[in-house]
Amino acid sequence: MNLLEVRNLVKTFDGLKAVDNVSFTVPEGSVFGLIGRNGAGKTTTIRMMMNIYLPDSGEVVLRGVKVGQEFKNKVGYLPEERGLYKKMKVWETLMYFAELKGKAGKSIEQKAEEYLKRFELYDRKLSKMEDLSKGNQQKLQFITTILHDPEFVILDEPFSGLDPVNTNLLKDIILELKQQGKIIIFSTHLMDFAEKMCDHIVMIDHGKVILEGSLSEIKSKYSQRNASLTFDGDISFLNGNPLIEKIENFGNITGIRLKEDNQTQQLLKLLVDNNIIIKKFDANDISLQEIFIELAGNEDNINGSSSVSKKEAGNA
Amino acid sequence: MLNKRVLTVIKRELREKLISKAFIVMTLLVPGLLFIMLGVNTLLMSSEQKNLNVDIVSENEQLTPLIQNELLTSELVKDRKYIFSFSTMNKDEFKKFLDSQKQNLINEKLGGIVYIPSSAMKDKKIDYYSKSSQNMSLFKDLDAHINKILIDAYFSNRTLSKEDLSFARSSVDFTGYKVSKEGDIKEEGYGNLILAYLLTFLLYFSMIMIGQMTMQSVIEEKSSKIVEVILSSVSPTELMTGKILGASITGVIQMAIWLSPIILLMSTTFFVLPKEFLFSISSTVIIYTIINFFIGLLTFIGLFAMLGAIFDNPQDASSGTLPVMMLIIIPFFIAISMMDNPNRPIALIASYFPFASIIVMPARLTLIGVPIWNLFISTIINILTFVAIFPIAGKIYRVGILRTGKKPKWSEVVKWLKYNY
Repeated sequence: MNLLEVRNLVKTFDGLKAVDNVSFTVPEGSVFGLIGRNGAGKTTTIRMMMNIYLPDSGEVVLRGVKVGQEFKNKVGYLPEERGLYKKMKVWETLMYFAELKGKAGKSIEQKAEEYLKRFELYDRKLSKMEDLSKGNQQKLQFITTILHDPEFVILDEPFSGLDPVNTNLLKDIILELKQQGKIIIFSTHLMDFAEKMCDHIVMIDHGKVILEGSLSEIKSKYSQRNASLTFDGDISFLNGNPLIEKIENFGNITGIRLKEDNQTQQLLKLLVDNNIIIKKFDANDISLQEIFIELAGNEDNINGSSSVSKKEAGNA
Repeated sequence: MLNKRVLTVIKRELREKLISKAFIVMTLLVPGLLFIMLGVNTLLMSSEQKNLNVDIVSENEQLTPLIQNELLTSELVKDRKYIFSFSTMNKDEFKKFLDSQKQNLINEKLGGIVYIPSSAMKDKKIDYYSKSSQNMSLFKDLDAHINKILIDAYFSNRTLSKEDLSFARSSVDFTGYKVSKEGDIKEEGYGNLILAYLLTFLLYFSMIMIGQMTMQSVIEEKSSKIVEVILSSVSPTELMTGKILGASITGVIQMAIWLSPIILLMSTTFFVLPKEFLFSISSTVIIYTIINFFIGLLTFIGLFAMLGAIFDNPQDASSGTLPVMMLIIIPFFIAISMMDNPNRPIALIASYFPFASIIVMPARLTLIGVPIWNLFISTIINILTFVAIFPIAGKIYRVGILRTGKKPKWSEVVKWLKYNY
């Protein structure tokens, strides 16, 4: 069943179409990725889903009903640009944000205690926010996002600005929430993360949807004639080889596109014959990054974001 | 409008503001400062000088002992305000004497010389020589005494009853009575004037202080990006409503604390004020002031919240607050300027004018009687002002709160009103 439907959203700022007729559906029980480069319209789309912006036209529908306050109460939202009241105490902050979602009382207090203990922040519960380290503030921000036990968790660029420890922590939380049956929607410009975590994706570029579907279907559709390779040695001899259509070097992994469907065995033999030490060879595999480049083009921008993604992936 | 989420925001605002240092300090400091100001003023009036040397020279030798007797037994000498010395000289002698004392007058060893010529017996004109020739307080101090001696001397050769003489001696004594439509005609001291000043100052202080606090808090939410997290739970209108109500309640609590001594003085006879400071105001005035102050806070804080949403940082905001500040400062000066005559046309208009009414009307009420139905009119005007301002401020707040980047121009802000946010 289609849980959450985004229908024909349009939003214009000062004559510029930030979101241009965007539609997609978020299926039940999925980790859903909203993918695109910076400024593609992801945050604006999410803000319209959260009813923070009113769309110029279009609507967001939850199980057949237009979203409103009821939806807000069911969502835990972690915006890209986050902040908490500096002068407020940890415990007050948690209770305040839960109360705004209509949750208060013993059960929430108990839950808050559990989370604080789990994130090793229980002894800081009476500290002011400004006295916490940045990493601890990030942890608290996660807790405020999920404390009220939301049915949906919407995360806008959740990994940006996180330290490596918290990046892993957030990944664990996302997986845990998934197991609990929550629906997780997150936006990212980091293809690696999306690839590792999402079941479904929608790809947005210049405010328009350029690709939508389950990740496995998309990959199998685009992965024909592709191989990804991890190796030691020099593969420059492949340049100009009649088998090869294109070589894409991502640093650790090299993506190779062949000219014909069934040439992967020949490629593998060629590599072995040339004394390349193959660490990993994945036939019919394509990275989301490659798909994105193929669809959105404009490689200069993409390379920019890919270098970021490598750095963050390396940190993780 | 008043749902659970708004109440949650109100609770937080109250907790944050009521226990903030700024609030506590200002709440205690402002009345303290006002009392100090009044006290210093009284002190200056009462003890501006001590032991001032004044020579009193009379041309008529019969007058000298009379004046000496009158002045030496007066309060002026008992309070050690003046040290007098008395002598009799004719005009030529006095001229020489004046020349000889010139140096003493210039270096202020001698405070002044009063010369009473014989002609004063007819025209009451006397001369005063000093480094500063205009000394109002000395003129005031000596006037009654010398006048009395001159009158006595003037009438001494004629047959006049004691009553006639005492009538002639006495100067005019003003007693102020306040006339109002409702109450009886009452004797009144300076109390109401002081009260009018006090109310004007307090309304002004509180409005600006709470307004600025709210603006800072909106800027904090905007610049530290808390606002988007909050907006995922509440609507911008709910957030703004909660903030405005929270701040307005804070303001009313502050005003109630400030006005409590006045309410105490009104409701008990336990404390006795000196006669000059007696005031009479009805509880209607106090209730009106507080209710209208609340409406005024809602209006002005709405505007300050709007300013907070327009700007990203306190520096930009402080230059942008001018238009809103003017709406408070101009009525403040109108209120101060009407103290000597509350029936001036500008005071009359301002006490019903949107925004200005909030500050001007309470002061005017304290000074003169205003029929109750007029209070209803000004209350309705204040409510209508709020009703007109709130949607505009709310719209700008909604658009501004999620905008970042360079400081917008006012023309851009006006355009925001058309946005579909």
